[in-house]
Amino acid sequence: MIDLRDVTVSYPLPDGNKREVFEHLTLSLKQGEMAYLIGPTGSGKTTLMRLIYMDLFPDEGVVRVGEYRSDMIEPKDIPYLRRSLGVVFQDFQLLPDRSVFDNVAFALYATGKSGAAVKNRVMQVLGRVGLQHKWKRYPHEISGGEQQRVSIARAIANEPWILLADEPTGNLDPRVADEIQKLLISLHRQGMTLLISTHDYRLVKKFPARTLALMKGQIVDVDAETIGEVARKNRRR
Amino acid sequence: MSLTYSIREGLAGFRRAKFAFIASVSATTVALILIGTFALLTFKAQQVTSWMKQRVGELEVFLDEEVDEPTARAISARADLVVGVDEVEYVSREEAREVFRREFGEGSEIFLDEPFLPASVKVRVDSDYANPDSLQSLVGEFSSWARVDEVVFNQPLLVKVQQNLRLFTLTGLSLGALVVLAALFLVGNTIRLTIYARRLLIRTMKLVGATDAFIQRPFIVEGIMQGVIAGGIASLLLWGIYGMLAGYLPQFAGSDTVLLVLLTVGLVLLGALLGWLGSYFAVRRFIKNVALH
Repeated sequence: MIDLRDVTVSYPLPDGNKREVFEHLTLSLKQGEMAYLIGPTGSGKTTLMRLIYMDLFPDEGVVRVGEYRSDMIEPKDIPYLRRSLGVVFQDFQLLPDRSVFDNVAFALYATGKSGAAVKNRVMQVLGRVGLQHKWKRYPHEISGGEQQRVSIARAIANEPWILLADEPTGNLDPRVADEIQKLLISLHRQGMTLLISTHDYRLVKKFPARTLALMKGQIVDVDAETIGEVARKNRRR
Repeated sequence: MSLTYSIREGLAGFRRAKFAFIASVSATTVALILIGTFALLTFKAQQVTSWMKQRVGELEVFLDEEVDEPTARAISARADLVVGVDEVEYVSREEAREVFRREFGEGSEIFLDEPFLPASVKVRVDSDYANPDSLQSLVGEFSSWARVDEVVFNQPLLVKVQQNLRLFTLTGLSLGALVVLAALFLVGNTIRLTIYARRLLIRTMKLVGATDAFIQRPFIVEGIMQGVIAGGIASLLLWGIYGMLAGYLPQFAGSDTVLLVLLTVGLVLLGALLGWLGSYFAVRRFIKNVALH
């Protein structure tokens, strides 16, 4: 499970003061659960993701991801935590000088796998995202939606139990965004814990799931009506 | 297997990032040429310095006028066995007259009616002994020998030369230190820039759970390879420069194959070391500071 207890995070400002992003934030996500993370720009969606993959540590409180705790983890153990989760970004972050196959295989080599096991696993995950036939292509030779599929394939190559998707459809048109959303939901249905941060309230309504809204340093579970309210406030900004 | 992967990835660096590879190799080559040139000049300066010290620190042991030829040669042979003596040259009375005639030219014969020039032994000492104290002690020893009339050396000139050589050595060492520092700075910064250009690769590796050692390894393999190539290029260029200089400067003439082979081995090893350390520190720093979002 993912568990954040009394988490406070702040960033130093140039004038010497601090800007508090979260103040005693508490969140719990069960294994196999799916949730959206919504909130206006700057509300801390990416910060929350970074806390979970421990690229950032809280000033106060504890973040627990499976067996790992932010207050007890050794730097040498962080790579092992990251192998238990996959991360997908809005800008795909594929390596432009490597083929689709190599972009996915890279994640497996990086965790010490080799040989035929890598080849089989890469083709398997490319099959899951529907890109087995494009394994030889380079990122610039495929569409944005396909690039995001490769990025998802890379994120799930090491069979993580959590998938963090930070605005995964932000750069895609609505039709392709729907396809990516369906792909993510299919992975969740196969047992993966899924946390998606998004601005796309249309998708949240179309594919409903637990929705967490970040507002004023706190996180709250919201229903469909409140989502509409958050969306309207966001538009007014 | 991860080592095989690291080596393969390191070698693929040239194909994937040609510009960065060429930039690093060029910077390292320039650095190694600077260091190699300095090493060669230092070696040659050392040879010239030793030669100069030996010449300036030459002793002349003048023998009694009555000494016969066999005794004089025996004294010369004995002097050759003294610790600190590099070589000796026996100058008979006749040879001394000849030298006098040559140096003083026409009309000098009028001084040569009388045999006033004694036989002597020119003693050339090892360069380590070419200092006033050691020479004084040798003067004391030779003076105590039977049949030795006088022992002389040019002390003021030796002191002057020694002072100048000390200044020359200090200046050379300071310049050398500056050259080496500039070379390290150049290589370090170029490698850092080339690694910065591949930050996405490092970020992605971190994100998928690669350990720091795993991330570093391909960069280190690549750095070592760049250093070895740079060492090879720098050596070839220095061989060429050395060959050209040999045509102009007598100090560079003659066969110095052993010196140049040693220089090549040294530069290749130094290149590998620079590449290794440069990559190690640049990647380590970058791994620590790179943000994953």
